[in-house]
Order: sequence, then structure tokens, then C-alpha cells
Amino acid sequence: MPRSEALARGMRLTALAADIRAEWRSGNRARLARVVIVLLVILAAATFVGSIMTGAADASLSNVVAWLFGASDADQVFSVRDRIIILDIRLPRAVLGMLVGASLAVSGVVMQGLFRNPLADPGLVGVSSGASLGAVLLIVLGSAVFGPLFALFGFYALPVAAFIGGLVTTLLLYRIATRGGQTSIATLLLAGIALGALAGAFTGVLIFMADDKQLRDVTFWGLGSLAGANWTKIAAAAPIILLSLAVTPFLARGLNAITLGEAAAFHMGIPVQRMKNIAIVSVAAATGASVAVSGGIGFVGIVVPHLLRLVIGPDHRYLIPASALLGGTLLILADMIARTIASPAELPIGIVTAFIGAPFFLWILLRGRTTMGL
Amino acid sequence: MISVSNLSVRLGGRVVIHGISFEAAPGELTAIVGPNGCGKTTTLKAISGELPAETGSVSINGRNLKGLKPWELALKRGVLPQSTVISFPFTVREVVRLGLTAGATSDPRANDRIAADALEAVDLGGFAGRFYQELSGGEQQRVQLARVLCQISDPVADGEPRYLLLDEPVSSLDIRHQLTIMQLARKFCERGGGVIAVMHDLNLTAMFADRMIMMKAGKIRASGAPGDVLTDETMEAVFGCRMQVSAMPAAGVPFVLPQTATL
Repeated sequence: MPRSEALARGMRLTALAADIRAEWRSGNRARLARVVIVLLVILAAATFVGSIMTGAADASLSNVVAWLFGASDADQVFSVRDRIIILDIRLPRAVLGMLVGASLAVSGVVMQGLFRNPLADPGLVGVSSGASLGAVLLIVLGSAVFGPLFALFGFYALPVAAFIGGLVTTLLLYRIATRGGQTSIATLLLAGIALGALAGAFTGVLIFMADDKQLRDVTFWGLGSLAGANWTKIAAAAPIILLSLAVTPFLARGLNAITLGEAAAFHMGIPVQRMKNIAIVSVAAATGASVAVSGGIGFVGIVVPHLLRLVIGPDHRYLIPASALLGGTLLILADMIARTIASPAELPIGIVTAFIGAPFFLWILLRGRTTMGL
Repeated sequence: MISVSNLSVRLGGRVVIHGISFEAAPGELTAIVGPNGCGKTTTLKAISGELPAETGSVSINGRNLKGLKPWELALKRGVLPQSTVISFPFTVREVVRLGLTAGATSDPRANDRIAADALEAVDLGGFAGRFYQELSGGEQQRVQLARVLCQISDPVADGEPRYLLLDEPVSSLDIRHQLTIMQLARKFCERGGGVIAVMHDLNLTAMFADRMIMMKAGKIRASGAPGDVLTDETMEAVFGCRMQVSAMPAAGVPFVLPQTATL
């Protein structure tokens, strides 16, 4: 690129930054949000590629890319080992990380919007526990009780069971915590703890009943890990996650309006009840599918939306796509930490997100004590 | 025209509005007054469509509320609630622009102008960049009014009058802004729209309202021009305190001083 062109581009960027600063001062964060989303796309892509390139074993990505683009076996540019490591281990893991991270973050955003509170999160208020119960119920009681479910859904049975568990919990929670269109945050959190504990107790009973093989399945599944990622898991979870994520942008206007209260949203022309139903089902589906394939991974749904609100504001039209991107990116990063920090052994990713997320959550509490009515 | 006919409303298992009927015409500011708990806000909620009618009906420009979808209603009337708490860090500009959701136009230039005008109209010209949560109660109330004005920016649209339903629009405002907001409501009426406001300040009401509806215990006790409604007799019957209604000689606007009361 010639010097003058680089200079012109630099000046355009400076002008853009000045515009954004001026707009920010007048309360307009729309363009800032769009720029942030573009940056997040780049960051997500870089993280994705980076995570495929790093790992305990050496494997050359460029060789595999060359193979993908048609270099034949005779060219000797790749080894079968490289190909397996990258295409069958790291790639599905990165894809699953992206999917689950996006799903957890967006579920957090939608739930927070719906309950009008920045502390609502499927993991925190027991929805994930409910989804776990659904999944464990399926693993332990298995084909004896749920034969027809297996017959009907095939390998979708686990995500579907987790979805049903999550949905029942979310509906109960909504019924308990919302009265006359107003949600009490104290009731929400406490009811979430109670429901989570109840779901945990039922799960405990099931584990108690389980035989050795089932126990093994439950334990491995429940560690909260992307370690078991493979294309079959992705095929089971991706349609549900992608479908529920695809719905959420259409909720954005309604979620914005509902921040002023359900009555005000109705006054502004939002069909509130229908919007809530769609939101609840999509949160339960996204959470259920994520829990089904990766166990309990906490705090993504709270940390990501909160960070983004600090930068681009709470407008859901931008917050939803930005959260999906940052959620996926952060989960892949956390997974990279999980599998390299004690290499060649692996830490469950749930531990990493808890180490980052829990202190962050405390920080939100301390910072927002006055504004959140706690 | 907003017509309320034989309206009863049930709230929490109890009928709190008992068969009231009145009409609010475009071009007029209709004020609903009465003691605490007499059903003023409930009436307004039934008119906005937020609460269903137990019996009777509410119609807006000749169409029964029951047959109107939320977005259709949103194009006919805007509603200002008593107070609005927001738990997310929205800027004033963002809150006001939420009113554009109902969307008369999608032209960004026109929308920018509507939002800026609305903020100007409630005397919050320089506040666009401030955070809603950091404003005082009175300022927040005015931001919400600006948001409603964004939704119903033209008092008449497609040849039909539109309405503002205001629940205690000046309850937390200083005296200057009370006058600003009441004048704004008046101007909305003069331009062909209609306003129904729940009010507490009888003197402001007398000054600005064309019609006054005085309620007690879920029923209408008196209605008409402020001069006809505000009498010593109705004051005692409705509020249960004997006081003297006076009139300023110049304009003939009645006023009533708490100093004249005996409880």
C-alpha cells in the first residue's frame, strides 16, 4: 500500500473516532456499537484460528489447509496425524466453543432483558440445573422409561431432555418471581437458588440410583467441558442453538421496550405476552442444548453482556449480536487456557470460567449496589 | 373521541370502578381528579388497554379497544406512567428514542428531529448524553414524557386525532416545569389532539383543563367545566374536607386554598 493511501486511511480512522466520541457525548452509541461488532467479528475469527493452531501436540495448520485446498497425498504436505488432530479434535472443539459461548451469552442477555435485571442468568437462577436434571434423567432412566423419546429424537434426545428441564424451570421461575408485570429481583434470585437446589437434589437421587456405566456418563458429561467435542455432538446441538439464536434479534425491540416495564412496552405497541413466550422458549432451548453438550459452564451469560453494556450500552439490537461474538470468543479463550495451563492434562473449562466469572460477578454487585435496588 | 361507557374494572378480585361513563373529545384537556385510591389510575389503565373492562367498553375514535392490536393502539395514543425505573444504563437519548419503536416513520433524519424536538419540548435540551439513572425524579419524569411525545409526535395523523394519557404528569416537578408541561399538554390539544390527565393539583387543573371529572370510590361524582365542578359542596362531598373555593377576579378561574380547610 502506498504511503499516501495509508495516510488517508489513517485520517479516515481518526475522523471516525472523533465522530464516535462526539456522538457518544450526545448519548448516541449506535455507530460505536457497530464498530465494536466489526472488531468482535475480527477478534472471534482470530481466536478461532488461534485455537485450532495451538494445543498439546504439534500439528501444522498450513499443511492441513493445503490439503483442504486440494494438495494430493502424493505431495506429502500433511500427515494423517495432523489432519486428525486438527479436523477431528481441534476444529469441532472450536466450533462447539463458539456455539456454546454464543448461546450462553445470548441466553444471559435475553433473560436479563426479560427480567429487567442485569443479574439474571440461566446458570445463576437454576435454569442450567433444571436442564441438567433433564439430561441426567435421560441418561439414568434411559431407554427403560424414555425409549419413545430416543426413537423419536435419536441423538437429539439429550438436548431435547435438557431443553424440557430448562423450560420447566424458567416457566416456574417466571411464575414465582413476577407479579403484575413486575419482577422482584430478590424473589427471582432466591427462587432460582431454591429451584436449582431442588433440581440438584433430584439429580443426586438419580445419581444414587445409577449403575456404573451411567455414573461414568453423568460424571463425564457434568464436568463442564468442551473436551468431548466431536461432530456428532455438534450435529445434535447446533440446529437447536442456531435456531434459538436466530430468533433473538427479532426480540431486540421488544426487550428494549420492556426495560421500561411490561405496561410501558404494551403502551409502545409490543405484544408483550407473545414476546415473553418466545423469549422464554428460546432461552430454555439455547441453555438446554448448551448444557446437553458441555455440562455446566457458568458466568459467561453474566460477564459478557455486562462488559458489553459498559461499552456499547444496553440497546439489544447491538447487544445481542455483540454478546454472541464475545461469548464465543471468550469461551474458546477459556478453553485454550483450560487445555494448556496444566498441559498435557486438562482442567474442566467450568473451573476456568468460574475463576474469571465469580470475582467479576462480585465486582458487578459492589459497583451496582445502589442502582440495582439490592 | 375517547368514549368510556358503563365501564367497570376488576382489580385483584375486587371491582374498583363501578360503571362510569364519560367522553374525552379531541381538542380538549380532560382531567380526572379525586382522593387517593378512588380509581383514577385504574380508569386510565382501562382506557390505555392495560386493564380489561369487566363490563362496559372503551372506544377510541369509534373503535372498541378490544378489537385493536397493541401496535394499532400505539399509533393512536401514548401513555405516561407515574414513574419508571430502568435497571440498565440507557442514555436519555436512547430512552427517548424507545418511543420511536411504534414507528410512524423509519427515516433516520426525521426520527432524529422528532427526538430532539421532544427533549426540547420538556426543557431537557442539553440532556441527551446524560444517563437516565443519574437524573432526578422530576427529570426522569420529563424524559418519559419526551419518550411519549416521540411516539405520538403529531396530534393528528391520517385525519384522526391522537391522544396522550398522562398519569400525574407533574407530580414530581417544580413549579416552573409544572407550567411548562401543562402548557405543552394544552398546545397538544390546540393542535387537534386530545389529552386525559390524572391530576392532584386542583388549581393547576382548574387553570388548564377544559373538563374535569371528579371521582370518588370508583364512581364519577361530578363532571364538567372546572368552574362547575369545583364548588364548596363537591369539595366536601368528594374530599371530605370543608374548604372554600374562590375565583380570581380577572380570569374567573376558580382556586382553592388549603388554608381555608377545616377537617
